[in-house]
Amino acid sequence: MTSATGPAAMSSASTRAPSRRASLGQRIWTQRADYLYVLPALVVMLIVIAYPVYYTIELSFFKTPTSLQLKDKIFVGLENYTTILTSGSFWQVTWQTLIWTFFSTLFAFLLGLGAALALHGEFVGRGVLRALLLIPWVVSAVAASYVWKWLYHSDFGAIGALLVQLGLTDQPINFIDNRSTALASLIVVNVWKEFSFAMIMLMAGLQTVPEQLLRAARVDGASPWQRFWHVTFPHLAGVSTVTVLLLTVQNFNSFIIPWIMTGGGPAGASDIWITQIYQLAFGRQRWGVAAAYSVLLFLIMMVLGYFYVRALTRGDDARAGA
Amino acid sequence: MSTDTQTPQRSFDGWKWGGRVFLTLLLIFTVMPMAWMLITSLKTGFAAMQYPPQWWPSEPTLSNYTRLLDPSNSVGQDFLRYFWNSLWVSTATTILAVIVAVPAAYAFSRFRFPGRTFLFFAVLLRNMFPAVIFLVPLFILMRLLGLVNTHGSLILTYLTFGLPLAIWLLKGFYDNIPIQLEQAARIDGATRFQAFLYIVMPLSTPGIIATSIYSFIGAWNEYIYAYTFLTRHDQMTLPVGIQRFFSENATDWPGLMAATFMMSVPVVVHFLVLQLYIVRALAEGSVKH
Amino acid sequence: MAQVVLKDVVKNYGSVYAVNHVSLTVNDGEFVALVGPSGCGKTTTLNLIAGLIPISDGTIVIGEREVTRLDPKDRDIAMVFQNYALYPNKTVFNNLAFPLQMRKQPRETIEEKVKAAAKVLDITHLLERKPRELSGGQQQRVALGRALVRDPAVFLMDEPLSNLDAKLRVQMRSEIKRFHHNLNATVVYVTHDQLEAVTMADKMAVMNGGFLQQYDTPAQVFANPVNTFVASFVGSPAMSLIPLQVVTHGTDVALQSAEGWELPLSPENARKALSAKGKDVVLGARHSTLKLHKAPHPGAVPGRVYTVEPTGDVTFAQVFIAEAVVNISVEPTVMLDPDEQVWIEFDQSRLHLFDGETTMALSAR
Repeated sequence: MTSATGPAAMSSASTRAPSRRASLGQRIWTQRADYLYVLPALVVMLIVIAYPVYYTIELSFFKTPTSLQLKDKIFVGLENYTTILTSGSFWQVTWQTLIWTFFSTLFAFLLGLGAALALHGEFVGRGVLRALLLIPWVVSAVAASYVWKWLYHSDFGAIGALLVQLGLTDQPINFIDNRSTALASLIVVNVWKEFSFAMIMLMAGLQTVPEQLLRAARVDGASPWQRFWHVTFPHLAGVSTVTVLLLTVQNFNSFIIPWIMTGGGPAGASDIWITQIYQLAFGRQRWGVAAAYSVLLFLIMMVLGYFYVRALTRGDDARAGA
Repeated sequence: MSTDTQTPQRSFDGWKWGGRVFLTLLLIFTVMPMAWMLITSLKTGFAAMQYPPQWWPSEPTLSNYTRLLDPSNSVGQDFLRYFWNSLWVSTATTILAVIVAVPAAYAFSRFRFPGRTFLFFAVLLRNMFPAVIFLVPLFILMRLLGLVNTHGSLILTYLTFGLPLAIWLLKGFYDNIPIQLEQAARIDGATRFQAFLYIVMPLSTPGIIATSIYSFIGAWNEYIYAYTFLTRHDQMTLPVGIQRFFSENATDWPGLMAATFMMSVPVVVHFLVLQLYIVRALAEGSVKH
Repeated sequence: MAQVVLKDVVKNYGSVYAVNHVSLTVNDGEFVALVGPSGCGKTTTLNLIAGLIPISDGTIVIGEREVTRLDPKDRDIAMVFQNYALYPNKTVFNNLAFPLQMRKQPRETIEEKVKAAAKVLDITHLLERKPRELSGGQQQRVALGRALVRDPAVFLMDEPLSNLDAKLRVQMRSEIKRFHHNLNATVVYVTHDQLEAVTMADKMAVMNGGFLQQYDTPAQVFANPVNTFVASFVGSPAMSLIPLQVVTHGTDVALQSAEGWELPLSPENARKALSAKGKDVVLGARHSTLKLHKAPHPGAVPGRVYTVEPTGDVTFAQVFIAEAVVNISVEPTVMLDPDEQVWIEFDQSRLHLFDGETTMALSAR
């Protein structure tokens, strides 16, 4: 009972192929049960995300009374946008936002990378050390802001007093009530708060560096620096991309530290986009302008989001299930 | 301490010592603010307001803590109420997040339904948007739903920003559970749901614990929504309550430090006990991609 | 026990066909191996029989029941997975008991059946351990035990031996064969290793590119491969294939190489060669049917030695003939050097001819 369905049969089979290809609608229908699993999550996300996004975009084209009585809103076209782009403070705030985001991300990443490398490998006290370094990441930003505000206190702050006792300055520096130092002081707090996030991400990444490659590199006579640069670092590239992107997004969007510590002051010296939006909305009730600002922020986040998704999808679909 | 796994050569000492010095400095940077918080919280109001500061309190006192925890005075009453509110909101958020995230993460890990990738990243992208730009529309929405000044408004909101990460972390766990285990269970006579319940769930317990803690910490620390949605004192959660507490007693730094310490205890303890789970969960989610 | 019938079974993902109109019948008590290179559709076919993935078209019957759309749990099958798929959080006992618990068997029955299965497989002393505390061979036995304990209609096995080391694999091979014999079980066994299929199976189904190429006893598949794919896949070393051209001189028919030599064909082979669609044919020969001469010999064609592999009781030589590599076995006493000129004689009654265009075996009709 030898049966043969070789290439001869292949031609007849492939002519039947098109009719068998299920349409998208059919596929959705046959797999409808799968959607039940994601439905609760989607419903929640739709209510609390899709609706607000739509709403923000709509609001950005209207002038809304301070009472937020929506029935009285007036269509103003792009006026809210032109108001933002022509205001004098916009470019200052944008510049400060870029400085804040760039340096927070840079230092958090570098400290995190250094810590991850220094903590790689076994030694006594490693676990305790890692746990201690991770604490700033889990305490609330509100707590961190108050603690640092107290450290920076112009009269009784520990940092100012310490610098005087070490003979670095004659009198305590006024860190956060000073236009020239406010933003930098806040960046320090932000880096303190989030460098350990970069640390764990990169520690996880370091575990994927094959030990054999490092040994091979050593046999080939590579110096420690060369080993890091040619073997370790390329393996960290993927995690690093994701980490830097997440840090950038997080920093661009940070609110609590500047809000609690300086409120954007003094005289707007530590104002960034988010604090500005909050001020416009809840401080000055200029809902339409705040919404327009938010839409601009959306657009920036979409661009970052695109790179984030691209960094994450690499290899995701190679891992197929059924 | 060593900067590399094993390097006995002399030439490497520079790296090793560099690593040690770096870690020491980093540790000082990390621990100093926390230490100063603790030290200040043990001072009297008078001792805190001195220049140069007392590096160690001359008369350590626990009065700042006893005042916060004593329900018979108004400060203690408020603080305990805030604490209780935070606990209730965070716990409710965590439970709901797990209930919603587990099936979603499982589906994203296992099924290949049309639109899966799109939906997954739509969910993930939620993390890209700052809370502030959702404030106005959500405030209006909550007003519509009659949830302003209720904990329900917070729980619903926290759920959404906890969900993406919860789903992402859990998906990492499910990806690592071989699908053959479920197939075997289904051949052994289990329905799809039974296979999930008896085989997959027990194996993903560490992931669920990590996810829970993550949600809890996120909800416990949240400030912006609580600050905007709640105006009644008796509804406030700790981060907002502490701010109010501070604005009314602007110079009581020791009291504030004691309060921030108390606020940090639950999350830090949670985290330290289970940090291995969290680190592993993050690792699985981030690196395997 | 029961028979399994696949009729026109299809699994496609859009225009990609993983399994393309496969029909075959596994008789009651038969051991059938699905064999082919990776990606040929054999595991997909097994998963379709198990019901683990939804079928696109066709029907599957197990015993007297059509099971095409049934859930795996309702198909009365047991399966052994490549990675064993033992439940890591359950003890060996509970792994074996799980199928029975799912079928709501009473506690005493479960205990009894698990102990019986454990005894058969010699794993009684492991019952309280967790899977990760077992060696590969022990895990394999537990996986078999979990399949055995339920007395299913059909056993499905997905490369159950591929995670074992070479020595253990040979041992488990004979144990599974014995297991099949003792239970008189119907077994569908997936493997990429043709040797496993040949040594264990009553019948083998050779698959490639989603198509069933040939379904027959190992001896038949070995002796009469239907096309060049099956010819080169089954047997070790593989059948040597030499592409040549048909030439005729009056009534005589010969095969001509690009180098110019001609191999005259016997009348029967001549009829086969002439039935080819074009002039291209592929000559196939197993290593044992070839004879190597160190000097020119009538009817032998010239070749050049490429490598020589002594294995002890037989020496394999690889010889270039008309730019194809041909495997030949010779006595270990024959000394050969690389690049040595040799002459190869074909056994006209045991050579194979395939159509150069369709790759199908040519018949004399």
